[in-house]
Amino acid sequence: MGGGALAWLRGRAPPVAGLRCLSDHEYRTLRQLALALFPRQGGFSVGAEDLDLARSFDGFLADEPDWNRGDLKKGLFLLEYGPVVFEGRAVTFSHLPAPEGLAHFERWVEGGLVRRQLALALRRFLALVFYDRPEVWPYIGYEGPLVQ
Amino acid sequence: MAGSITDLSRTAAPAGLTAEVCVVGSGSAGATVAWDLAAAGREVVVLEEGADYTGRQLTQRDGRMFDQLYMDRGGRATADLSISVQQGRVLGGGGVVNQCDVVPIPEGVLRHWQRRFGLSDLSPEALVPFQARALADLSANRPDPGGPLFNRNNRLLRQGAQALGWRGEVMLHNRVGCAGIGACGLGCPVDAKRNPRFVAVPGAVAAGARFLTRARAVAVEGAGQELKTVRARRLDPDGYRELDEFAIRARVVVLAANAVGSAQLLLRSGIGNRHVGRHLSLQPQLPVAAWFDEEVRFFRGIPQSFAVTEFELEDDPEHGWWGFRLESIGATPGVVASFMPRLGAAGKEDMRRFPRVAGALCLLPDDPQGRVEVERSGRLRIHYQLSDEQRARYRAAARAAARLFLAAGAREVVVSDARPVSITSEADLSRIDAIGFLPATVPLISAHQQGGVRMAPSERDGAADPEGRVYGARDVLVLDSGGYPSSASSHTMAPIIALAHFQARRLLARLPG
Repeated sequence: MGGGALAWLRGRAPPVAGLRCLSDHEYRTLRQLALALFPRQGGFSVGAEDLDLARSFDGFLADEPDWNRGDLKKGLFLLEYGPVVFEGRAVTFSHLPAPEGLAHFERWVEGGLVRRQLALALRRFLALVFYDRPEVWPYIGYEGPLVQ
Repeated sequence: MAGSITDLSRTAAPAGLTAEVCVVGSGSAGATVAWDLAAAGREVVVLEEGADYTGRQLTQRDGRMFDQLYMDRGGRATADLSISVQQGRVLGGGGVVNQCDVVPIPEGVLRHWQRRFGLSDLSPEALVPFQARALADLSANRPDPGGPLFNRNNRLLRQGAQALGWRGEVMLHNRVGCAGIGACGLGCPVDAKRNPRFVAVPGAVAAGARFLTRARAVAVEGAGQELKTVRARRLDPDGYRELDEFAIRARVVVLAANAVGSAQLLLRSGIGNRHVGRHLSLQPQLPVAAWFDEEVRFFRGIPQSFAVTEFELEDDPEHGWWGFRLESIGATPGVVASFMPRLGAAGKEDMRRFPRVAGALCLLPDDPQGRVEVERSGRLRIHYQLSDEQRARYRAAARAAARLFLAAGAREVVVSDARPVSITSEADLSRIDAIGFLPATVPLISAHQQGGVRMAPSERDGAADPEGRVYGARDVLVLDSGGYPSSASSHTMAPIIALAHFQARRLLARLPG
């Protein structure tokens, strides 16, 4: 598949205002992953749709050293094209419905080393940020910091 | 003369700075050495990359606190991302963010170091007063297992151990006035930890030592000369970016920047022999989670104060400390979730039951098989591969942790793997045998880095002599855990403080005047 076809598969990402580091496409990929990992259903009703986790990642990445920023951006690129590269499908990650996106990501967790590494880095970051949000705490029985 | 603590992110770079001794790192080793040297009238400057966080600045929030209190904003890991390498970056060092466990160096380890590595001066007898001093510095005391701070998680581990007839103990800790907040890994907002920030740092300042925070040491130059130059850079208030550079001229340079950091600085400076960066021990720990029908609330009270020592050897002839131990552990939700294996709705369901989660850590001593590398670009790489023997020991430890929780009444125990292993009865324990511990699958955590600048009587066998002097340099010393030839203990704060006092005394005896 040529570069033009890959770009066509990915399509145009909606513009996102105020990003410090991520491109619109990278933001969309990460947002899609967050929606897959933290759906509104399951356990409790707050999900990634209610919290802009991708923007938190953007803020984090903007202050990282160049090498880490570069690695993670390449990783997001690979995640976007994961269904094409690893499964021969004519669809990119951002266009998968959330349950399919989750299933695809779970195959990364069990996949080759690079995929496992990226999966580990992204899920850890997103989980830490999601459960650090006060909006989530009432649903998990956590009162938050005891000393203000 | 009174010393000082100066935040260099908010002031101009110091010019023409000189000191008799420049210490890099303000943790258990650096602050202790600075205290002893300053108390003996020596002129000491300490460089610390982190900032000074105390009291309510410690917000108990995962994101901001990991960002500010840990190296690489909490993201430091081995090169293959298999092991999270947690290393403090704050005035007072790892003691600010650790779980307050106080475990002195076992005599068996010191004998092992004597026998196997030729460190004949480090005898149990010679270290008696220094181990006692470390316990005194830390106000070491034992939590009351009948008291409210000894939380349900600790009780469950103890209950399981009793049911199985396994040996265990309530560990010493260094909390005084603990309020049971439970976010110890993010620092204590009521300053109940008697860590170096509240003991050695003020002691050193009172004796005249000057601490410079947000100051990153980048190289030591002139290592063979009488006067060395430590090149350092100011950091911005968040510690993200380097600002301008400054230099300190000192006769003696003491590296106490953690095993990884001290080796990294030597490698960046081109100082030392082929052993620098090698023989690194990470002691990777494996977390195991369990769900109970009743509330456990492991995120409040003292998170880590009961240890199952049934499978632990303190005087293994080949390794010194060996086997494994199991300890209770609890943490804030962000940290816990980042290590939980199930994803999507199943992961959320696990976290919905957060108050019913219990946690154990499998602590395994390791051989010093890791390596620190600094790439040409300056990027730090920590290389570490699990051996087959370690994988087998992790499986044994995970099986023991699962049995322990089941004996305490757990509904389900989960051991992480690429596909999480769920255990609801003893019949399921064999599932653990299938865990491969492949890179980047199981969430291993290193909190006790040691080695990298191994001490040895001969430069054929190590990077520093038994007094911590780096071979090939003049009065450049490594006095932190970087010098240890193998794991000193299951928890390194007390060993580091004891050995720092010991080595500081030897350094003082050598200094002229």
